[in-house]
Amino acid sequence: MLEFAEWLGTTPLSVAIQSRLWLTPLLQSIHILMIGVVFVSILVVALRVLGRMRADEPFPEVWHRFAPWFWSALVVMLATGIVLTLGEPAREAHALSFWIKMSLVVVGTLSAAYFGRTVAAAAGHGTTEFSGGARLIAVATVAVWLAIIFLGRAIAYDVEVWGSWHLG
Amino acid sequence: MDLLPLFQQLHDSALSEWLRTSLKAMPIVEAIHVMAIVTVFGTIFLVDLRLLGYPHAKRSFSQMHHELLRWTWGAFGLAAVTGVLLLMVNAVTYYRNTALWLKMLVILLAGINMLVFEGVTAKSVASWDKGVTPPTAARLAGALSILLWVTVIFLGRWIGFTKGYDFAIPEDVQFDFSSP
Repeated sequence: MLEFAEWLGTTPLSVAIQSRLWLTPLLQSIHILMIGVVFVSILVVALRVLGRMRADEPFPEVWHRFAPWFWSALVVMLATGIVLTLGEPAREAHALSFWIKMSLVVVGTLSAAYFGRTVAAAAGHGTTEFSGGARLIAVATVAVWLAIIFLGRAIAYDVEVWGSWHLG
Repeated sequence: MDLLPLFQQLHDSALSEWLRTSLKAMPIVEAIHVMAIVTVFGTIFLVDLRLLGYPHAKRSFSQMHHELLRWTWGAFGLAAVTGVLLLMVNAVTYYRNTALWLKMLVILLAGINMLVFEGVTAKSVASWDKGVTPPTAARLAGALSILLWVTVIFLGRWIGFTKGYDFAIPEDVQFDFSSP
């Protein structure tokens, strides 16, 4: 994998990204703006599950208000993330934080999709009261996205953060 | 007003020295700064969208304002504290960073926009609170706010590429782009 990443870094596409010096800060800024939309969408949905925000609104309404923003911002975030990774594949592949972050993005996305399914199920039963399990998943989903943000920043500090665990 | 002595003092402080030498402090402070600023942006963006009349919501402006603003201010406080910590670490160098001062200026402009909105436009909120499309002044404040906060995020990222925590970059280099 590391060899593949190093080879990827020498491909014309990667070199083209690396040589446009304004591209990385530009894409990183868009990436951060998008995580703002993704994170706050998840935060509001989670707070609704806990009954701490928009409690006067049925859950399906809250979900349908935020889900399109969550999914669109997620797509832009993935797209900018892919280009950023292509621009420095070896740095990413060598960072333990990068691999944990990618795993958590899968977890955080599945977890958000779970709430979407909850809506469909609840619409059938005509109820939107949430069980302890759903509340726990709401809190865990917010925690996962916070961890994703932390790991995104930690990629630049792999040795400092992971010490002897870092992939070298 | 010459702020350089103050920046020198910040740079020479024991806290700044500790942040520079502790291996784990910087990534943690930086990550909290990112978490805080995305929360500031995301919550403000929601209120701004409501000011622009999107979506055609049943939810009144003051409801959204009330439920989101505590998150915005909490996160802003966190962003300010972590921002000062980030600044301290390399204060004298940041003092010469154009992107940093531009960012401070744009935050100030966003603050003025907010004060004008809260002090003038929002006084008549009762007449447009539930309406789908708020008056022009309110929509203008919302649009300006989005524009200014997007700029803040861009400038923040630009600081890292012009002068970051990398001490190897000479101080007089303006646009280096080689640090993370």
